[in-house]
Amino acid sequence: MTARRARLIAVDGVNSRALVASAQKIATQSGAARGISRWDASGLFEQLLVADDVSTVSPRLLLLLYAADLAFRLRWEIEPVLAEGRHVVAAPYVETAVAFGRACGLERKWLNNLFRFARKPSARHVVRTAAGAARSSAGFVEFACAQLERRDRRLARDLASRTRKHFSAR
Amino acid sequence: MPTPTSSLSARSRAHARFADPGRRRGMLIAFEGPDGSGKTTQRKLFKEWLKSEGHNVVTTKWNSSELIKPLVKSRKALRVLSPEEFSLLHAADFRHRVESVILPALWAGQTVIADRFLFTGLARDVARGLDLDWVMNLYVPLLWPDTVFYFSVSAATSGMRVTSTRVPNYYEAGQDVTAVDDPIDSYHRFIGRVIREYESLALIFNFVTIDAERSIREQHDELRRLFREGEQRPWSDWNLDAVSEWLARRDGNT
Repeated sequence: MTARRARLIAVDGVNSRALVASAQKIATQSGAARGISRWDASGLFEQLLVADDVSTVSPRLLLLLYAADLAFRLRWEIEPVLAEGRHVVAAPYVETAVAFGRACGLERKWLNNLFRFARKPSARHVVRTAAGAARSSAGFVEFACAQLERRDRRLARDLASRTRKHFSAR
Repeated sequence: MPTPTSSLSARSRAHARFADPGRRRGMLIAFEGPDGSGKTTQRKLFKEWLKSEGHNVVTTKWNSSELIKPLVKSRKALRVLSPEEFSLLHAADFRHRVESVILPALWAGQTVIADRFLFTGLARDVARGLDLDWVMNLYVPLLWPDTVFYFSVSAATSGMRVTSTRVPNYYEAGQDVTAVDDPIDSYHRFIGRVIREYESLALIFNFVTIDAERSIREQHDELRRLFREGEQRPWSDWNLDAVSEWLARRDGNT
């Protein structure tokens, strides 16, 4: 009998609703129905929302927190499932954050270094649905746009769309 | 984030602001060293002296961002942080303070005293087994202090001073990486690693080392003398990236 090779499947995109739907579909098809790792499993962003002044956040700060959340997801949700020999879907994974960072004008070198700790996925999917409205509790891109809009409207303008273009450009 | 044009403009403005010999520029002084090195005592004395010299002084402490500290604190209490998460959250805290406290104060011509700076993150994270290059890049764009005072003590002195008055907490004692149950034993092991990293950083980044085994008065007098020497040095363009990125965002030129 051949041991099944556990796969990490990354699903990225700017529209969190479409991302979740797509992740569920891919998980079912790949036999990872219960193995989906989602944004903010650590609760960092949820906790950030109740803080007094979220308007002082910058793209770099949001990405450092995204990376901290991803480290949590890898440790508690992704690696244990892979260690059991099962497939796991990570939605979103690294590409969403990198595309967002590029859309904000951050250097690729910094972004690549930031996510150096993250395991390379076995497969990648990009959900190309257009962005939803900037909302605080939906997904990372919506959350980030909602926070940046409060203080830096020029940066936040069309940011989700620009992020989407960075997926296309890859 | 800066577009090429706005970035250029922000860089020009940053240079003009900090390199203007006709005005007292903001200065950034970092106090670094292991726990128990007496740097907080020296920082307080130094601040009072600077104020008496006419400086408008702002102090910022490690892991003190009003926004990020609660996130770190609750996770430290649960002891669930991996070295990577620990490192990333402290870098986030630092980034927030750079953007909301340190750079605004420097821009306004104030003197900023940092009780621990990014070198604390580097020393502790590398002592936890992380790669120095990875950790340092988390702090990009780097903001270099005008002076880093490094308070040097032996691991034995640090251990004795800290553990004689209190029990170090879980992460301070490095129990997340030493796997030693007793926090005092763990601290003694972990602080040795941290000091080794600090000493490497002191060489790489040219810290001003203060022998923290000497009397409080002797150390304070040396700080005054060294600060006066450093005060005359011109602003370094090493910090242009950090200042111009902040400036471009602040002014909405993005």
